[in-house]
Amino acid sequence: MSNGETGNKPAMRIALMAVLTAVVVVFTLLVRVPTPIKGYISLCDVVIVFSAYLFGPWVAAIAGGLGTGIADVIGGYAQWAPLSFLIHGLQGLLIAIIARSPVKGNVAADSPLIRLVIAGVVGMIVMAGGYYLAGGFLYGFEAALVEIPLNLMQSGVGVVLGIIVSRSVLKAYPPVRSLAL
Amino acid sequence: MTSGTFIAGRGMLYLFDARAKLLTVLALCVMVFLPLRPLGLWVLVAATVLGAWHATGLRQALQPLRAILFLLVIMILFTPLTYRDGSAVLRVGSFVLATREALENLNVLVARFMGITYLCTLFIWTTPMADINLAFRWYGLSYKAALVFTLAFRFIPSIAESFVMIQDSHALRTSEQQEISRGTVHLTDIVPTVTSALVVALKSIPYLAMSLEHRGLGRRERRTSYRRLVARGGLFTHFLLSVMIPTVFFLVFNTI
Amino acid sequence: MKHMIEVRDLSFSYREYSGSQRLRPLLSALDLTVKEGERMLILGPPDSGKSTLSRILCALVPRHAEGELSGVIRIAGEDLVATEPWELTRAISLVTQNPQEQLMMTTCADEIAFPLESLGTDRDTIIRRVDRALETWGLTELAEVNPQELSGGERKRLLLAVTDAIDAPVWIMDEPFDDLDELWRARLMDHLTNAARTVLVFASRYLDEFRGSFDAYGRIHDRRISFGAEERIVIDFERESEQLFTAFEEPGNIDAQRRLAARDLTIIHARRSASSAQPFRLRVEDFHIDSGEVVALVGPNGAGKSTLSRVLCGLDPCEEGSLTVDGERVNQKQLQVRVGYLFQNPDYGIFLPSVREEIGWSLRRRKDLSPQERERMIIDCAALFHLDPDENPTMMSYGGRKHLQAAVYHVLDRPFVIIDELDSGVTYAAAFEIVALLRSRGAAVVVITHDRTFAKNLAERQYRIIDGRVVETEVGS
Repeated sequence: MSNGETGNKPAMRIALMAVLTAVVVVFTLLVRVPTPIKGYISLCDVVIVFSAYLFGPWVAAIAGGLGTGIADVIGGYAQWAPLSFLIHGLQGLLIAIIARSPVKGNVAADSPLIRLVIAGVVGMIVMAGGYYLAGGFLYGFEAALVEIPLNLMQSGVGVVLGIIVSRSVLKAYPPVRSLAL
Repeated sequence: MTSGTFIAGRGMLYLFDARAKLLTVLALCVMVFLPLRPLGLWVLVAATVLGAWHATGLRQALQPLRAILFLLVIMILFTPLTYRDGSAVLRVGSFVLATREALENLNVLVARFMGITYLCTLFIWTTPMADINLAFRWYGLSYKAALVFTLAFRFIPSIAESFVMIQDSHALRTSEQQEISRGTVHLTDIVPTVTSALVVALKSIPYLAMSLEHRGLGRRERRTSYRRLVARGGLFTHFLLSVMIPTVFFLVFNTI
Repeated sequence: MKHMIEVRDLSFSYREYSGSQRLRPLLSALDLTVKEGERMLILGPPDSGKSTLSRILCALVPRHAEGELSGVIRIAGEDLVATEPWELTRAISLVTQNPQEQLMMTTCADEIAFPLESLGTDRDTIIRRVDRALETWGLTELAEVNPQELSGGERKRLLLAVTDAIDAPVWIMDEPFDDLDELWRARLMDHLTNAARTVLVFASRYLDEFRGSFDAYGRIHDRRISFGAEERIVIDFERESEQLFTAFEEPGNIDAQRRLAARDLTIIHARRSASSAQPFRLRVEDFHIDSGEVVALVGPNGAGKSTLSRVLCGLDPCEEGSLTVDGERVNQKQLQVRVGYLFQNPDYGIFLPSVREEIGWSLRRRKDLSPQERERMIIDCAALFHLDPDENPTMMSYGGRKHLQAAVYHVLDRPFVIIDELDSGVTYAAAFEIVALLRSRGAAVVVITHDRTFAKNLAERQYRIIDGRVVETEVGS
């Protein structure tokens, strides 16, 4: 009797989504890196990229969307929550789909670097573009332009760190693979 | 980190059923994009700010304004500069600073943005998270999705706490003096801290899955519910209100 | 009489992620029979497989932990091979050692209601049972409070309340008396003895409350369980886990006498807690530690032991007063590189794939070391703490991770080290060794504990926190 492969583990999926959502919330609100331009940028994208590289499209979409949405609500930007849910959800979903490894038993993080980077860049475009459009409708396209470089930088940092961190986590905590499959 | 968003206060808003309240907020948020007179938008802003003031006090009521101040300044600076059509009202020498149309546009954008901000904020301040969750379920959200939401709130405080401890633990492991300030991660320490934080969080996942299954998630019986929403005075009355408020508002202030 | 738990020839190995071995055996050829209505106590040192066995009995392992299981397990006559964990909710309840692992909801009432909702219990019955369970375990006031804001003891009581509300015929309890104060230990013992249910309790310390309270006694050793009369089991168990204290060696030559002293400190800590909205104040009139000393810091849960420690190692500021090292005032940053702090959870510091890299990371900025010297230091340090340099730290046993945590500070050679709750989760012998190794280079060691026996046998001096004041008291009082 060995542990059966996932299949029949609905609780596992729920647990994965819930914990990673909470990690995204914490990284959005708590972990900040100083930047010269606008004070701080958040590291939520690192977790979204990480989730996409390791746990696939659905977990990444829920963790990214729900996590940033909840963070907006807690952080006092409730009006952004539905938009963050859609934008970061789509970001996670697309990164995971593009980066997905064709080899059975591999996670996306095992894919060639170039593939991870391409996926990450698509994620950056979705994120920065999504906020530009959303911002345009909410408070005018002129003001929304200001945020594009900041968002590109934040999501770019997310891709670079996401690649490094997903590899270091795979090494430091090998059972993560059994969570991912 | 506190993960609660509910603020205990007074007033009708707390008695408004979460399901009907959610509908009202959504309807009003959509309505601000319809052709309305700017006066109408400002009436909405005033109503929501006063509502927040009444419910939670002035100090608290001004907090959302502080949160969007930065954006408001950018809007005021950039919108007139980039919106060039129309008749000039402000100029420096021959350079047009702002046109009438740009200012009118700015007026609408600012009122709309403030209105949406206060609507959403009021909703989450006056509705307990458990009720919001029940309202989503009433509108058809699956139990499992609602459960992910609840579980995420369970884990936010403990992950935040462990993150602070991890930062501290790494700070104490350096062999020389280093600048350390709470809430700020230095570039060289990002990878170690983030890796530890993720590993600690990931390690809790199998335990959570075990606990969910041990407590019966997956059983064939229909789940019963301990909590439920109770609309005082009947749910119909509440929904009637939530339809009437946006409708009346629109009838009074529309420009069609 | 019916057999409620029946285990024949059980073997279990965890999957290994490093080294040449593929599997790490934990239990082998283990037999266990618990009859209906029987109360059984099984003693076993930390990391001997108690928690794993209790999860195996609930069909949770190897489902959620990679490993191999063989043997026959029957719960109330049902073979576990064909059973999913959720099918056992009505039959068996587990209380795990660390309450955090089992808590899922955002209010205490919801936590108790969750399994009843799963069982399809009607709403009126749920409300009644939730109220009764809250009352029995002294949590009525906390019904709407987030379990994350509770103290360790309150969390344990909440899990007992959940278990009570389900009212399953079989209870498996992993160190249930941990975290509970004397009053609640007695209540729990009462509760276990007066109800007609089958109870299997695992413990790593033999407590006075246990004497004569169980129908059967066993201990885990050599990967299986042996049974016998209470006295025999306890004597063998205590001998094996070396809980009989050995004399504590004096440290070798200490190069320099150093002193960390705190005078007239006031620490104010904004505390977010269910039970008190008041900010927390701690007064320290005179606290000092000298090279080579072992000092105990004791006090009840929530007294401020960790708060004081965080100030002493420079993580938190103090409101007023002075902190000095060797008579000179030091600021927070200076304290951070002089005072080590071993958090209770060793995982906070772990992030690298091998013990070698983990220990070496602390030396990475030491420009004065050649690569050979550095490697020598790492290997020596690992050997001293019985660590395999190639092992994966995250996957080591709890005791192994505690040793690694200590090794990291040993290699940093901090003159002062504070250790938080060292005695929980490792044997006394292992805890003693860790303190001895840290002290061997002349470090002054502060040990935070609420175990009187441990403090008495280990420490030369003791500080106690009473009502927000830190005072020096007799050791072991």
